[in-house]
Amino acid sequence: MSAFFLRRFLFALPLLLGALTLLFLLMAMVPGRPFPAETGALDPAAAERLRALYGVDRPAAERYILWLGGVARGDLGFSFSERQPVAPVVGRAAARTCVLAGLALLLQFLGGTAAGVLAAAGGRGIDRVITGAAALLYAVPSYWLGLMLVGLFSVRLGWLPVSQMATVEDGSPFLVDALRHLVLPCLALALPAAAGIALFVRDQIRAALDGGLTRAARSRGLGRAQIAIRHGAWRGLFAASTLFGLALPGLVGGSVVIETLFAWPGMGRLAYQATLARDAPLVLGCGAFSAALVIAGSLAADLLTAAIDPRVRASLR
Amino acid sequence: MRIAGGPAAWVLAAILLPAAAAPLLAPRPADFQEDVAGGRDLPPLSRAHALHTPDGRTRIVTGLRPDGAGFVFERAGGTGRVDAADLAVPPQPRLYLLGTDRLGRDVGSRILFGLRHSAGVAALAVALSLFVAFALGGAAVFGGPLLDAAIMRGIDVVMAVPRLLLYLLCASLLPLSTPLLVAVLAATTWTGLARIVRAELLTLRGGGIEAAARAAGARPLRTLFLHLLPAILPALAVAASLRFADTILLESAVSVLGLGAPPPAVSLGDIMSSGRAAAGDWWLVAFPGLLLAALVLALRSAATSLDRLLDPPSIA
Repeated sequence: MSAFFLRRFLFALPLLLGALTLLFLLMAMVPGRPFPAETGALDPAAAERLRALYGVDRPAAERYILWLGGVARGDLGFSFSERQPVAPVVGRAAARTCVLAGLALLLQFLGGTAAGVLAAAGGRGIDRVITGAAALLYAVPSYWLGLMLVGLFSVRLGWLPVSQMATVEDGSPFLVDALRHLVLPCLALALPAAAGIALFVRDQIRAALDGGLTRAARSRGLGRAQIAIRHGAWRGLFAASTLFGLALPGLVGGSVVIETLFAWPGMGRLAYQATLARDAPLVLGCGAFSAALVIAGSLAADLLTAAIDPRVRASLR
Repeated sequence: MRIAGGPAAWVLAAILLPAAAAPLLAPRPADFQEDVAGGRDLPPLSRAHALHTPDGRTRIVTGLRPDGAGFVFERAGGTGRVDAADLAVPPQPRLYLLGTDRLGRDVGSRILFGLRHSAGVAALAVALSLFVAFALGGAAVFGGPLLDAAIMRGIDVVMAVPRLLLYLLCASLLPLSTPLLVAVLAATTWTGLARIVRAELLTLRGGGIEAAARAAGARPLRTLFLHLLPAILPALAVAASLRFADTILLESAVSVLGLGAPPPAVSLGDIMSSGRAAAGDWWLVAFPGLLLAALVLALRSAATSLDRLLDPPSIA
């Protein structure tokens, strides 16, 4: 098991390096340079000094090596649009995204697995209702759901805030206020994904129960629901765990749109604003962090699969 | 008639054919603004009239009724009256089936054109990425183990960067345009397809099809394109229709962010984002999204039934 972990970890490192290189290459190809003197807003000599100060006048290869060295030390460079080092900016944004995306992740896996098991265990009617609703919800774009939820609960009914993380000088306690701001973006992010998980888990359980296992359990006198819960739920948990690693890129990508719509000051919105500002160090910092998260996610999913499924463990020996 | 894809194929045709024929079917051009002040923010199923005066002005009015020798009407929150003699032509009835937006444009027409744009861009992007996927997947399988490893690791790397972030980066390289949109969407789509091409080709490598083609004297490239490609096409069709659904969703998402093709191109995402500032016009958001959801649902269900057709579940 530890040998497997080590091998898998060593495999992830070059992947991360490759992703960082790809990001740097793309960013190096972006036209224009920092501190343009051509617009006349900046004295050419001053622009030259600023470029030398931030090292942006050096050749791309040298900047690449310096940047990689910095990343290894946890130094992501200096953001021109935020006028401060990138690492703390990305760190703060990542923490806020973790609150939103983490809660959405929890919600979608709990809700999705539960709905999937329920659909597989319940009768024909329950199955039809759940799979129908899930297929519809899974097809709906998350930003559309976000816009509709805001339109209904914030604008029409006025129950929940439209955007941001907190209200300044709101009378209610901090936690209540924060939760009220979390509800809509979290639902918009989690519901379509939960529907996808529910459909997958249901199909996996149905496939697993579609044979000798069910016949044996029935011959021991177990009811339909009991079979689904005792044998199917484990199968569903396993199926959901394989989806876990795949869910991370979707969550990071999806949070760009949802965070922008809800003005949630997280990673996604930061990456979006950094792209619009052509702030290369900040874009690279966001990209590096997201790529690391995605690679860590697939690593975690592999380990989780090995931990849950004895067959995978056996194949490793 | 039974067609591959089942009922979903008919739903697809019902959505995509009218979109393809948008210039013929749409009552008005996508950017047609007759009267911004009078025609703006009309809810769905609004009945209105266009009043043309001899000086070439057009007014969009609601609640028109005859009043003596003229008409009284409501326009932009007020009421007005016009003599029939002052009109160049009798009042022209207008039905805004899906309402109008804040600039007085017909949402129904815009949705038809938007769907045409979104589906067209997504289809082109998927076609382009299929081409890249086939070229690289084929090279990976028949180009030797070193090339195989290089291509597969390259795919791993591209897949490690979230798709939307990759899109944001690519979109900042060049000024936004529809061809760039297609290229960038394709650049973020080909990876999964290339993996499928490689996996499918691996099962065929050294098999009967290849041996027969080689025996008949076909060169490697001819074998690849004319004998092996048709054999994996059905499996690719399933993957491509799923990718098409994902890509059309991504295209709308980047348009919502304002990073899609610039005007006059109109995407479903543009229509939705134009509704978000004025949250009162729910119809601007609701209809394009529901159409998108129906399209995605039909594509996924068509892919599922296609998959079942190719690989029927065994009867235990």
